Amino acid sequence: MSPRPTTGHVRRPAILRAAAEVIAERGVIGTRIADIAERADTSAPGVLYWFATKDELLTEALAFADDSFYAELSDELARLDGARARLARIVELWPAEGDAETVLWMELWVRALRDPAVGAARERLDGRWRAAIADVVREGQAAGEFQPVDPDGFALTLGALMDGFAIQLALHDPAVTPERVREHCMALVEERLGREGVADAI
Amino acid sequence: MSSSRERILDAAVVRIASDGIDAVRIARIAMDARVSTALVHYHFATREALLAEALEHSFATAGEVRDGTGDPVTRLRAMVEQCLPLPGEQERDWVLWVELWLRAVRHPELRPTAAKLYANMHDWFREAIEEGEFGPVDAAAIADRALALIDGFGVRALLGDPAIPLERARDEVWHALAGDLGLRAGTATS
Repeated sequence: MSPRPTTGHVRRPAILRAAAEVIAERGVIGTRIADIAERADTSAPGVLYWFATKDELLTEALAFADDSFYAELSDELARLDGARARLARIVELWPAEGDAETVLWMELWVRALRDPAVGAARERLDGRWRAAIADVVREGQAAGEFQPVDPDGFALTLGALMDGFAIQLALHDPAVTPERVREHCMALVEERLGREGVADAI
Repeated sequence: MSSSRERILDAAVVRIASDGIDAVRIARIAMDARVSTALVHYHFATREALLAEALEHSFATAGEVRDGTGDPVTRLRAMVEQCLPLPGEQERDWVLWVELWLRAVRHPELRPTAAKLYANMHDWFREAIEEGEFGPVDAAAIADRALALIDGFGVRALLGDPAIPLERARDEVWHALAGDLGLRAGTATS
């Protein structure tokens, strides 16, 4: 019989949580499989049973972190009334995820520069995020709360704005504070989606 | 005319962009610059120092050559253009830029370099907006937003995101900027 871990269903999430922590601290290049194994309280072969490469650990760890983020997000959003309040919550929650998440995204970008498989994973993760924003925009439009602009186009722009600011927050740029970032993001919401906004889109 | 230090930096920009700051071989940069490996180590004690100086070097050269004049709208459009990962030198600078973000998060000694580069870009945009006399606008806030959009769209365009080709990135950034300046997007994009 092959030495399959029988507690696999328990171990995979533990490995991914450990991978997210260790990679955020040391980077893909500076991380050894053994470091992740140690953090997850397993062995290097135990890690390699699930994940062949460090890049796979990075992309899967991000997808796993995203799963819990989206689960939490949909709970939070369900409790709120109105699409505007939901977008405000998205904006509020997202940079609050902190540096660890942003640094993993930066790892993803750097690895994606030179590895198409990581690039494909980046596209899936981005797509999910854009869809989450666009869904809230559609709800708002259906409820007559927002103007009928292209929801996917808006999601691209809000996503880009949030990322651009997240970079500066992660770099501890003294000129950028989380409050300012939220103001900028909500200003974009009003400007593009608001009923009273200047209608000069296109 | 070019000093050995400049040749090292020119070579570093090219090699870091192709291989990455972690994987780049110092000996290879030395060979490209026609200097000894020891001299590279003498000028740049760490990879962080090399990356920081290579970026500053690349940006300084870019600024000198391309800072054109003209009417304020044309000037700002040209500035947006210069900040996007266009094929060639700008794409190379962008790769270094993305490497810098990651490296600076882990190595706080690099953050002043990143902060300085951002401050330079910010001032560059803010001054162009102020000098353009677009009326009572908050030039600093407009510059902040333009830079965030340039980074957010630019990194996707650099990575070949099918949803964000370069033209889209350029149009989105310009649309936001033109709106902030009170220009009608239609005339501003013509």
